[in-house]
Amino acid sequence: MFKVFDRLQRQVSIAPLVSFRILFGLMMLAGTIRFWVNGWITSQYIAPKFYFTYIGFDWVRPLGDTGMHLLFGAIALSSFFLAVGFLYRLSASVFFMAFTYVELIDVTNYLNHYYFISLVAFMLIWLPAGRSWSVDTLIWPQLKRDSVPLWTIGIIRLQMGIVYFFAGIAKLNADWMLQAMPMKIWLPAKSHLPIVGELMYKEWIAYLFSWFGAVYDLSIAFLLINRRTRRLAYLFVLIFHTATAIFFPGIGMFPYVMMVGSTIFFSADEHRYILLKIKRLFGFHDDKRNRNTTYRFNNAVIPWMSAGLLLYFFLQIVVPLRYLLYPGRLFWYEEGYRFSWRVMLMEKSGNTFFRVVEPGTGKTYEVNNNAWLTPLQDKMMSTQPDMMLRYAHYLAKVYTARGIKNPEVYAEAYVTLNGERSKPYINTTVNLAVQPLSWQHYTWVLPYTKHEK
Amino acid sequence: MRVFNRTKQIIAIILIAVSALVIACSKSSNPGGPDNNAGGFDKTAMLTNYADALIIPAYTGMQTQLNTFETAVNVFLDVPTTENQVVLKAAFKNAYLQFQHISVDQFGPAERVILNSFLNSFPTDIPAIEGNVTRGSYDLTMNSTTVQQGFPALDHLLFASDALSKLNSAGNANRKKYVKDLLTRMKTLVAGVLSNWKDSYRADFIGNTRSDAGSPIAFMINQFAYEMDQMKGPRIGWPYGKQSGGVQYPQNVEGYNAGISIALATENLTNLKAMYTGGGNGKGMADYLIALKKEQLNTDVLKQFDAAITALKTIPDPYSTALTANRTQIDAAYIEIQKLLTLIKTDVASATGVRITYQDTDGD
Repeated sequence: MFKVFDRLQRQVSIAPLVSFRILFGLMMLAGTIRFWVNGWITSQYIAPKFYFTYIGFDWVRPLGDTGMHLLFGAIALSSFFLAVGFLYRLSASVFFMAFTYVELIDVTNYLNHYYFISLVAFMLIWLPAGRSWSVDTLIWPQLKRDSVPLWTIGIIRLQMGIVYFFAGIAKLNADWMLQAMPMKIWLPAKSHLPIVGELMYKEWIAYLFSWFGAVYDLSIAFLLINRRTRRLAYLFVLIFHTATAIFFPGIGMFPYVMMVGSTIFFSADEHRYILLKIKRLFGFHDDKRNRNTTYRFNNAVIPWMSAGLLLYFFLQIVVPLRYLLYPGRLFWYEEGYRFSWRVMLMEKSGNTFFRVVEPGTGKTYEVNNNAWLTPLQDKMMSTQPDMMLRYAHYLAKVYTARGIKNPEVYAEAYVTLNGERSKPYINTTVNLAVQPLSWQHYTWVLPYTKHEK
Repeated sequence: MRVFNRTKQIIAIILIAVSALVIACSKSSNPGGPDNNAGGFDKTAMLTNYADALIIPAYTGMQTQLNTFETAVNVFLDVPTTENQVVLKAAFKNAYLQFQHISVDQFGPAERVILNSFLNSFPTDIPAIEGNVTRGSYDLTMNSTTVQQGFPALDHLLFASDALSKLNSAGNANRKKYVKDLLTRMKTLVAGVLSNWKDSYRADFIGNTRSDAGSPIAFMINQFAYEMDQMKGPRIGWPYGKQSGGVQYPQNVEGYNAGISIALATENLTNLKAMYTGGGNGKGMADYLIALKKEQLNTDVLKQFDAAITALKTIPDPYSTALTANRTQIDAAYIEIQKLLTLIKTDVASATGVRITYQDTDGD
């Protein structure tokens, strides 16, 4: 036990942190520019009339046209500053806060890799990744450090490992492993691909994809951490994520985040070697002075840091497992589904009709969802109970403002999961307007029943 | 050490498996393209059928119908009598029915010029139209004028209860000119879309067998769902008062003055079924579903199409008066329409791996 502790305290080259910082910053800059150019700031954060907030974060509101663009500008600028290491800690803090703020505006836009980016950015605030190869050390040379405790790199590796491992665990379910679902649905839609296209209708291919994906996710972190298998494993990272990018272009930046993120597993020496090569490429010579400057955390900080890390990783393990506390089928209820590294795991779509009823008169108003939600919000809401509830509460507010006292809101929803026929999803007799939003099990979601294909 | 060797072995095995797979794949690929094989489903053939047997003929038919209609309009405008109006109404109905065949094709060239909005935005904006007529000046190419033109505007100008008297009153030149301008505008739009299809889009359309956002297959499935949404809402449900606590809007029905709403709706749904099946001979989405081993779903969708069409047909035209007189039939039809909408929007979309949203974004 103490040996492990000692080993984690060991000083190693700062190089892995540096290259991670640079790559992360550049990738975030590219991702932000892409998001902006695609017009998604407008379509996701300005156009909607209503936003699905997170419990406890209802105060997070979009900032309007100018405000949102300024916020994304701040994200882009802080990404760039992260990459070049200018005002490192401030830039990391600004990036973390601005990026996380944007992600908290609307549940609709939740993506696992956005959550991952927030987590990594949070860790970067506390890590000395700006202490070499940075504008900061050019301005303030006394800040420069050549080595850091191993654990500062280790926690990023652990975070990567957690993402992969939980993504793998999530795949160990009957649909994925025994039915090759949803691969059986998704692959025939990819028959346009050259060479492999015609195989996409074959069942065994769907099984191969499913099983390979599960084995890859479960094992890749271990193969990356192991010195002997690392290079080959990284080759697999490249192949696997390139394949996912080709097959599922809809997942956006995710494959690139993982390809770039996984470089953190290479040893400190390997990183240092590569950075030196780059340095020489640009005609710089290795700075032989100050070879032994080590970064040490202030003794007063260490207990806090340790406690914080313990809590952080405790949460990282508990949060993805919280679904075990809920009854019923996870994919159906989606209680404890988010923040758990469940990526590309199921094919689910739904169709939801809302009706608002005036209690005294029984007058019924069917709701045209397009009037209040963007197509994307409508689609996401139609399969996720907590979003339906938020929308129902919003509708109650809207119709109250229109002069209906205590409007009752009822939903009629149909959901199809992993290729099964659509089934009624919500108890149509429950007035959702008075159902509380909570982390309790939603009893008004009808139980999952499996029958004919 | 032994553990490491194991791992190496496992990796070697996986690598061999992957390379074997790649070799197997490349060997069995045929030069005709990945989608022309017997084992899977020929999406190119399906899309070719859609383009050549359904979509392009629908636009050609629209062109023909508009020409016939134009002739009748000219006769009527020269001598605006009740008799000529009756003849005109038949031609108007035929053209409007034909529109229901192109309504679902709102993607590609049609989407670029928002054809549906210009041809069929209802309810039409009567004050704006009358203003245009009085002023005699207007720019029909502006997006804000969609509610001042197309079939609904003509329905008002030609068949409103006071249409004859207005066309016969002094200073009717502006009104007649406006009608002719509307018709010219419709003909120009349709001709543009049709030539666009023939010149270039047909090749793009049949050459793109993807199913992701922006692909023809995704466009069509999304349009099926959209048309069903329109059926449930503006065509049937909203005028009936579904959205408004029972307060009805008879003047908001499609083809209000001509009194042909249900005929139009039935034509729309019948054509949608033809689009779903791929028409008489060629392949369509129905065949694709069967290839995906969704026979039962396909059977149920076809059944539901028939149920909805049958239920619609029990409602008599004009719909504006049926709204109060035929509630039972309307309620029954509404339920069938909603069932069909759900089948298409969830089950069919999910089975074909198509996302119901035009909004482009990342997902996971």
